Amino acid sequence: MITASSLVKKFGDFKAVDELNLQINKGECFGLLGPNGAGKSTFISMTYGSVQRTSGDLTVFGYDPKTHSRDIKRRMGVVTQENALDESLTVLENMMIYCAFIGVAKDERKKRVEELLEYMNLMHKKDMPIMALSGGMKRRLVFVRALLGKPELLILDEPTTGLDPAVRHLLWGKVKELHNQGTTIVLTTHYMHEAEVLCNRLVIMNKGLVVGQGSPKELINLHTPGYVGIFSIENREQVQKIVASNNSYTLTEDTSGLYVRTNSLDELTTLHTKNNLTPLQIRPSNLEDVFLKVTGQELTADA
Amino acid sequence: MLNTIQLFFYITLRNWTVYKKDFISNISPTVADPALILVSLGLGLGSYLTNVEGMSYMQFLAPGLTVATALFTSFFESSYGFYVRMSYENVFKAMLTTPIGVKEVVFGELIWVGLKGALMAVGVAVVLALCGLMVNPWLIPAVAIVGCLVAVPCGAMGLLATAWVKNINQFQTVYSFLIAPLYFLSGIFFPIEQMNNIVRFIANFFPLIHGVRIAQALFWNKDILEALAFHGGILIVQSAVLCTLAYTQIRKKLIN
Repeated sequence: MITASSLVKKFGDFKAVDELNLQINKGECFGLLGPNGAGKSTFISMTYGSVQRTSGDLTVFGYDPKTHSRDIKRRMGVVTQENALDESLTVLENMMIYCAFIGVAKDERKKRVEELLEYMNLMHKKDMPIMALSGGMKRRLVFVRALLGKPELLILDEPTTGLDPAVRHLLWGKVKELHNQGTTIVLTTHYMHEAEVLCNRLVIMNKGLVVGQGSPKELINLHTPGYVGIFSIENREQVQKIVASNNSYTLTEDTSGLYVRTNSLDELTTLHTKNNLTPLQIRPSNLEDVFLKVTGQELTADA
Repeated sequence: MLNTIQLFFYITLRNWTVYKKDFISNISPTVADPALILVSLGLGLGSYLTNVEGMSYMQFLAPGLTVATALFTSFFESSYGFYVRMSYENVFKAMLTTPIGVKEVVFGELIWVGLKGALMAVGVAVVLALCGLMVNPWLIPAVAIVGCLVAVPCGAMGLLATAWVKNINQFQTVYSFLIAPLYFLSGIFFPIEQMNNIVRFIANFFPLIHGVRIAQALFWNKDILEALAFHGGILIVQSAVLCTLAYTQIRKKLIN
């Protein structure tokens, strides 16, 4: 559905996307992960022609977005990173004008909008000005806007950034539903958990480059298999001694604690029972571990 | 092509929807300001100037006020108004994910300012005609042509300013060095013939003076067809140039 090969985008001397090769297939829920400034949104904007590539090839539905952006945009819906709702219009007016933009037949518009407002629990805000909506409601309205054209391809550019957990879970549910109904979904996020919950395949980007790709499970198994025990920095000496004496452990440290990794859960619990070290947390490795490993420490510096 | 025109129309429709919400407050400065100028300058200053080009000062002043209205209504809409939607509300970022392209955004906007300019100029003309300042009030509808022909290129200048400024405060500079001089030096307030030759020469390259000429012809019922053909032709050429420039500059802002 989307194919990128050797895709490059430069802003002046800065390479926002660097030799990107990607294939996103019909029916996938595909994730683009990366810290802020990794090139995710630049790539997304290239798919519908709002950013034009410097070199390389890109096709969406078989069309080149440079020359056929309208054919592409007719078939896709985008949850933009900024809400970009028209503050001068009410909820209903906003959606009605978008129906016109995307070519929904005039007598179908109101019904379509109301159905989707209902779907996103916004019907009671129909005649409100945008200003009167909370952050979560605005976000849900942006989802409504993206779905007005019944898109085959739904692009979610950081859909849940800055939202409370309740709204986030609600939106995840809706995304899963849409995916199950056959909508292809491309999601950018820097919430690893979100990617793990929603995506069946993903790439991790850093500084315009792909630094890892596969399903969440594949990536975890490849880069950070097993389990993690997190210990307080106060126990540093003791933990270091134990790790040094047994080569099945590896140790990394950051400001939040000491991360001891190993393949089996037993080995971590042993640390606890035999050495009387109480971990802050023991958990299976997750995408966040992969992310931190493959993107390196630059993450915190640029974020 | 049909599609493109339809999309222009939707952008215009959006602006109309916003505009009519607050119709009274939107229309009041456009009608009240010229009325104020008429009272202060026309009645005040006019009592000292009893013969300007063979007529009262009020009569001389009236036509230019319709043109000034078209200038301000279009310039402010496409400078401050467009800038806020572009840079603060990011409205176009979302619009550009739909079949709308930059072309539709820009030309939809210009059609809108053209229509609004026509409407406002006619509104002002009605007020002026009621004051007895129009020789032939049946020509009021024709004032729409002037309003539109002035508003479109001035709207394009507003869009160019939008593309040029680095922040919203810099519109003040554009206002002080471009819009205000146009307003004061385009023959609205006194006969342009009395102006310094260089200023007169430069003024010809901007839309306002040509609009004033047509408006004067309509209000004074004098050489209307000549004015429409000559100054109207110049305004169309200026519009074409300015609109094309506005499109290319705004495109650079919206597409990276």
